[in-house]
Order: sequence, then structure tokens, then C-alpha cells
Amino acid sequence: MTTAVAEHVPIGAPRTPKTVGDYFLKAGWIRAAWMTCLFWGFGLSLVLIFRAWAGWEPLFSWPVITVVATLTAAPIGFLAGIGAFDYWARYAIGAPTVPEDHSTHGGRTWQDYFRPNTDHKVIGVQYLVTTIFFFVAGGMMAMLFRAELARPGMQFVDNQTFNGLVSVHAALMIFLFVIPAFAGLGNYVIPLMIGAPDMAFPRLNALSYWLLPIAGSMMLLSFLVPGGAFATGWTSYAPLATDQPLGQVFFNMGVQWAGASSIMTALNFLVTIITMRAPGMTFWRMPLLVWANFTTSLLVVIATPFIAGSQFFVMFDRIMHTNFFDAAEGGYVLGYQHIFWFYSHPAVYIMMLPGFGIASEVISTMARKPIFGYRLMALSLMAILVLGFSVWAHHMFVAGVAPWLRIPMMVTSMIIAVPTGIKVFSWLATIWEGRLHFNTPMLFALGFVSMFVIGGLSGIYLAAVPIDIHVSDTYFVVAHIHYVLFGGSLFTIFAGIYYWFPKMTGRMFNERLGKLHFWMTFVGFNVTFFPMHWLGTQGMPRRVSDYDPRFGDWNMLISISSFFLGASIIVFLYNMIVSWARGPAAGPNPWRSRTLEWQVSSPPPYFNFDELPQVVGTPYEYGVPDARHAVFNGDRTTQLEEVQS
Amino acid sequence: MRRGSILQLLGLGILFGGAATAVAVLIPWLPPVASKQRDRIDFVFWFTTGICIAVFALVAAVIAYSLIKFRVRPDDDSDGPPIHGHTGVEIVWTAVPAILVTAISIVSSIALVKNDDAGKDPLNVTVIARQFAWTFAYPDQGDLTSAQLRLPLDRTVKLHLHALDVIHSFWVPEFGQKQDALPGQDTSLVITPTKVGTYPVICTELCGFGHALMRTSAIVMKPAAFQAWVHEQRNAANGPPGQAGQAVFASNGCASCHTLKAANATGTAGPDLDKLPAYAKQAGKPLEDFVRESIVDPNAYVQPGFPKNLMPSFSTLPKAQLDALVTYLVDSSKGGGK
Repeated sequence: MTTAVAEHVPIGAPRTPKTVGDYFLKAGWIRAAWMTCLFWGFGLSLVLIFRAWAGWEPLFSWPVITVVATLTAAPIGFLAGIGAFDYWARYAIGAPTVPEDHSTHGGRTWQDYFRPNTDHKVIGVQYLVTTIFFFVAGGMMAMLFRAELARPGMQFVDNQTFNGLVSVHAALMIFLFVIPAFAGLGNYVIPLMIGAPDMAFPRLNALSYWLLPIAGSMMLLSFLVPGGAFATGWTSYAPLATDQPLGQVFFNMGVQWAGASSIMTALNFLVTIITMRAPGMTFWRMPLLVWANFTTSLLVVIATPFIAGSQFFVMFDRIMHTNFFDAAEGGYVLGYQHIFWFYSHPAVYIMMLPGFGIASEVISTMARKPIFGYRLMALSLMAILVLGFSVWAHHMFVAGVAPWLRIPMMVTSMIIAVPTGIKVFSWLATIWEGRLHFNTPMLFALGFVSMFVIGGLSGIYLAAVPIDIHVSDTYFVVAHIHYVLFGGSLFTIFAGIYYWFPKMTGRMFNERLGKLHFWMTFVGFNVTFFPMHWLGTQGMPRRVSDYDPRFGDWNMLISISSFFLGASIIVFLYNMIVSWARGPAAGPNPWRSRTLEWQVSSPPPYFNFDELPQVVGTPYEYGVPDARHAVFNGDRTTQLEEVQS
Repeated sequence: MRRGSILQLLGLGILFGGAATAVAVLIPWLPPVASKQRDRIDFVFWFTTGICIAVFALVAAVIAYSLIKFRVRPDDDSDGPPIHGHTGVEIVWTAVPAILVTAISIVSSIALVKNDDAGKDPLNVTVIARQFAWTFAYPDQGDLTSAQLRLPLDRTVKLHLHALDVIHSFWVPEFGQKQDALPGQDTSLVITPTKVGTYPVICTELCGFGHALMRTSAIVMKPAAFQAWVHEQRNAANGPPGQAGQAVFASNGCASCHTLKAANATGTAGPDLDKLPAYAKQAGKPLEDFVRESIVDPNAYVQPGFPKNLMPSFSTLPKAQLDALVTYLVDSSKGGGK
């Protein structure tokens, strides 16, 4: 225990005077630069000392040095340098700490967004901007390999580079975009929605963000190492992954950093939602987005260690001469897939349930009606959580799993359609007889519902074993996952960004550009991905750089459409950047929503609520005369004043 | 709900259902059928499609109807009716999908069990997958091997698959059946060809940089033609070394990666075998020793410009076949094979 130092460092406290040494020692980018190098050196020394001591040849083993020094020690040095561990480090060495140190809290200047910040609102924005960067990078890779695929035969890249582009595209989109983008939106909104001043563990929250640029850089930089980027798909099946060039370990380790970030955020969400709800905010009064993130966080903390395990085993096989997946030495080849999918199937719900939450918020608000069947909506999330752990082998129907496993896994996969169907039908019943405002967030939310229905239905085909045997590992699967993850997750991410943009920035986006963005995305998406169903059933396998010439014309159409889809992002970015800088003031509640985040100013105060809300009802009571979600009790002392007194 | 709105909704449902049905029927979604198993797969496919069209039509009709009927001007700030739920409706849309997916599951299970049944006397074929070639062996036909899968019409065949390096996956779209080939674990697949023809064999599991090129053909022949082929192959294997070597070259899939004029092989993933004498000189070894070593231990000398660890070792070849192959390659590359 630290001694209770009755000292408060208020928000925006002036930093210590700047001496020359201070520039090198204070937390920041300069310290990050030299500490990254220093820790890389530590890692290198560690490898050299052990190898020299054990007498292993060669002394400079680059696969080992890459893993230990470049992908493990150097990132820790970076985090230490940027200041992510400062408070804990002081605590650990017994130096005086200031429990109420708020000097790292809040976004007052742009510099506040480039350092570890304990304000969940700053972290939410950091998450979103970073993930959109990786989204654009991943999208450009997609356009590169679509250019290659426009004609049969090889034109622009060689096979290994092609496989690398496909793999890094998927890895970035999944681990550096969809999952953390939802974490970013949740980070911004959840404490506000439940009436909390911040997350339960603000310093852990700051750390979880700074792991992301590390993971993303690893994936991108893998293109620069000898042999090129990892080229085994985002699934990275062993034993292929154990005999690929050096780039493979950048995936193995990149996933660890992204996964650690996910787990930290999920723990934070769980503790925040369980312990920090405002008075009166019972579980049955929580907005569905909070329910969705609660469920998602449970999935993350239970499942993510499995992918960490699978990637560690592959890495051990590569550099420590273990034989987890080497059949010749008694390894179990299918073991990789079982462990991997035990995470990666729940991961598709990690990438979808927060989107369900966003859709519920947007649809209820824009339809001016209560969510239809609120409790069943929440319970169906929990049903998906439980069932999600019982279906992993449906990714392995042709992999050589025990034959008896296939029918039970088909049945559980089919049953998931029931809670998912409940959600779709409830959204439809919510818009029924509503007062629909077709603005940009609502268009994306309804676009999501319609596209997700198509993705869900193609999921039924894939759950049915005989059909799956025919279309497994073909473009039908590529079409399906893009209907679910693009038409599903990405549409809800856009809906969420447009919906909370006025809250985050205090400004309104350009509605006409927003609508243009939606229609370009909607049309481009369908022309790009719908024909892929046909390619798959007809016989085009996935992850190939070259294909049967009879598929040439459709691939040309898909490639052209994918460039159009890429162009839609320019409209989005332009709208976001210009509106953030010069958009009209949005006011606290432009959508006339009832959830708590809209009852405070835009952007909200540093500690969210100047008055503690007292929750008195459910959040979706549109059309109910005199219904209130919360009342603000003016008598209570504000959080901010408590801190600064 | 008024009767008029029910009729309008129904009309929209028929419109969307009709459009989806047209897309399903008018576009040839599935490749030609060439096996009994594909017939069953297709039945499950169309059964599922029927149900999916109904669900899609319902959802699309409700969204379209709401889009037309319930939209308001942006400045309208009234609220909708406060409907919180309806237990009866919620039970219906829980129960009906549950029944539908149960029906699909039952149909799928029956099809799956039938498709896995190889009957009493299947033709056994061993499928050996390696980066980036297929080899098919016929244990009941005197261990005859082939780079193409040749099958007699209307005879159920059981494929026994295994891989020598990484995971591969065997798929013939016209047969509908697919199965991964694993290192260290045997898997099997049942096919009953029903139509004479040549069909593509495609690797569908990413297996390395040559994955896209890992293709060959499945040739379904009339039973008499199949017997004749078996006979011819067995004679060739016992014939003079040149012919036997050519058979070994063809049946081990060398042509998928290598160029060799004498065998009409045009692969480019590996070194050009017409230049073997030059490579041997670079490696500083006598031609015959060099060729033999490169087959048995490919990493001993790797021609600059080609990746290491790419070519699998063929040290498992029987000695007679290996000798025949070496002789064939030496003669062909020196021009003696012409």
C-alpha cells in the first residue's frame, strides 16, 4: 500500500520545469525512442549470452533475435519510454505516488492524444483514429491483390507476395480494425452510458491502447523482412506456418500484442459495467450497447488466451524445436486448428455483438420507438455467447475431424441462427410504425440489417455439412465473411462513428456527404462481394493468385467495383476531417436520444457528469408520456469539484 | 394492422421473393453434376435456398415497406407508438426459425451419412499430396501411380488421402466432395462418378507459394477404357528405362513445377530441367550423381534464384523407379530423350 497522500494533481497541471536532461527522461516520444533501442539491446544480449553459454551455433540466430529482441523486448521498451508504466513503476520501486494525479487526464490539446492518456474519451478517439489508419492500409492491400486478380495469370506481384498481401489484409482488418474499433467506440461510450466518470482502470485502459500501434506496426513491417510478409492467411495453419520465412513470427507475435490489448480492454469493460453503474442503473436498465459489450468482453477474456496459445505453439515449433504440430515427431496437426478456432469462432461474435448493440441504439433512436422485446434482445446476446463456444469445428468439416463431431457441431451452428434471428426480427419490429429518420447513421444501421441477413443466410448454407463440404475454402466463404464482417461489422462501425461523431467532436458531419458515402459503400459492397458466391459454388478456391480463365470477367467486375468501394472511403475521410475542423456546432443531443451520453455536453466534461445521474427507468421510452431514463440531482457534489477541491 | 397494409406487404414480399427466386433459378449457380454425392449436395443446397428465399423476402419486404410508409421529414419530432414487445410474436419468431433450421439439419444429416457410405466394394485410390503436386496410387491395380486421377464410371471409389509436408485439400467441383489431406493422419473421401469427362482437381487449402498452381485433372472413363489404361500403364512401368522413367516423371507430378521438353512439361516454379547439365557444372558434380542427389536430397544444392526447402524429397521412391527417373532425366536433358 502506498501511503494515502492527500494530494491532488488537477487536470492540466503544469509539467515539471524543462531542463535538458528532462527532455530525455520525461515520459514521451524521445524517451520512447532511446528506450526502444536500449531494450532491443537487452533482448539481443540475452540471446547472445544464453547461446554463447550453451554453445549453440550460430551465435547470431536471427529468427531467435527477431522474436526476443525486436518483437518482445523493444516494444516493452517503447511502452516504458512513452510512459505507459510510469505510475506502476514508481509504485513498484517504492517512490511516492499520487493517487489523484490527473495530469495525464483529458484531451485539451492535440498533444494529449499522442501520449498515454487516462481519459476514456481520449482513448476512444485514439483507438478510432488508429484503427481507421490500419483499415485504410488493409484496404489498400485488398485493392493491390484485386488488381492482380483482375485477370487470370500473373501480372503485378509474385505468388508469395500475393499470399502475403491477402494474409496481412485479413490480419489487419480483424485484429487491428474491427475488434479494436468496437473497443474504441465502447471505450468512448460505455462509461457515459452507465453514468460513470471514467473506466474502472484508467491506466490499464491507456496501456491497452498503446499495445495496438505495436501490433499493427509488426504486421505492416513484416513486408520488409527477408522472405516477405507472413503468407499463410490470417488462419496461419500449422505446419505450413512452421516452415515459412521469417515474416511468419511477425504474425505470431503481432497477434499476442493485439490479443493482450483486447483482454485488458475487456477486463476493464467488465469491471466498469459491473461496479461503476450510476445509482438506479440496474442490468435491465442498461442500454443494449452496454449489454453487447458486456457479452463481448466475456467472450474476449474466455477465448483470446486460446489464440495466444496457438500462436505461441507455432513460434515454439519454429525457434525452440518443439514438435506440437510436426506429425513426423508425434505432433498433432489438427490440434492447431482446434485451439485456433476455439478462439476464432467466438471471435466472429467478438466482431459482431458490439455491432448489434450499436444497431439497437441507432435504430431505436432514429425510429423514435422503444426497442421491441428489450429483455429477449439482451438474453439472445447471452445465448449467442454460450452457443458460440460450442460450434468451432464447423470451420473444420473438411479438415479431417472425427466424423461423429460433424453433425453435433452442425446442429449447434444452426441453433445460433435462432437468437440471431430474434435480433433481426426485433429490429424490424422496432422500425415498424416508427417515425423513421433516414439520416446517415440510420442508413448504415438498416444497411447492416439487410446485409447481415444475407450473410446470416449464407451462414446457414455453410453450417449444413454437405453444402459446406462443397463450398468450404472457396470464394463462397470469402463472400460470406465479407457479408458478415463488412456488411455486418463495418456498417455498424460506420453507423456508430456517424452517430457519436457529434458527441465526440461537438460538431455535426455533412449529411449529404454521409449519405453519398453510404450509397457508394452499399452499391460497391454488393457488386464486389455478391458475385463471389457464384465464383465459389462454381469452383474458384480462395487465396489463389491465379485461377481458371473462365472466371476472368467476373473477377474483372469485382476488381473494378472494389476500387469504387475504396474510393468511398475518401468521401468518408474528407467528411470526417473537414467536419471535425469546421463542422457546425452539434449541441448536446442532436438525435434527441434518451441514453445518458446525450444528456451531457458535446464533447462531455473531463469527468463526464457534472451532476451524478439517478437512473429511474429504461433507456428507450420513446413515445411514453413523461417517461424518464434518468434525473440529475443538482444537490450532489460534482465529481470534478471533488477532484479539484 | 389494416387489411390494405397487409396486402401491400404481401405484394412486396412476392416481389422480393420473386426477384430472389429469379436470381436463384436463372443463374447457373452450381457446376455440372458428375457424381452421386453432388446430387445429394445439390438437393440440400436447393432445399436450403427455398427456406432462405422466404426469409429474405420477409425481411426485405418489411424494410422496404417501412422505408416507404414510416419515413418522416427531418423536422418531424414526434415519437412512434410505445410498443415494448409482444410475447406471442416473440414466441413465433423463436419457434419458426428453430423448426426451419431443424429441418435443414435433418436433411443435411441424411445426405452426409449417405455421402460417407462407400458401399461394400469400393475402388481404393491413395491420394498423396505434396507442395505442389498430386499423385494418385491404385493399390489394387499393382501400385500403379498417376498424376491424374482416372476413375471408372459408376463405380464407387474411396480416396485415402495423406500429405507429405503441409495440409492440402482435394476438391473436384463437379463431384462436390472435398477433403483435407494431412501429414501424419489419413483421411478418406467417397465419390461415385456418374458422367464421363475431364474435371479439375483443385487444392483448396493454402499450402505455400505454389498453392494456386496445385491443380491436376480427374478423368472419368468408361470401365473398359479404364481397364485398358490400367493395362497400358503397367506395361509401360515394366518397359525400357526411358519409358519407365517418363512414367515416373509423369506420375509424381514433376511437371507441375519443372520444365522438361521431352515430357512436354512447362512448370516454372522450379528450375528448368533441360538445363540440368549446366546446373551440374555449377554445383561441381557429375551429372548423374547431381540428378540423383537433387531428387533424394533437394536442399543439398539449390540453384540460385529458387527458394530453399521448396522441393520435397523423393527419397521414398522405390530404387527401380528412382534409377529409371535418373536415367530418363540425364538422357532427356542431354538431348538423348528426343
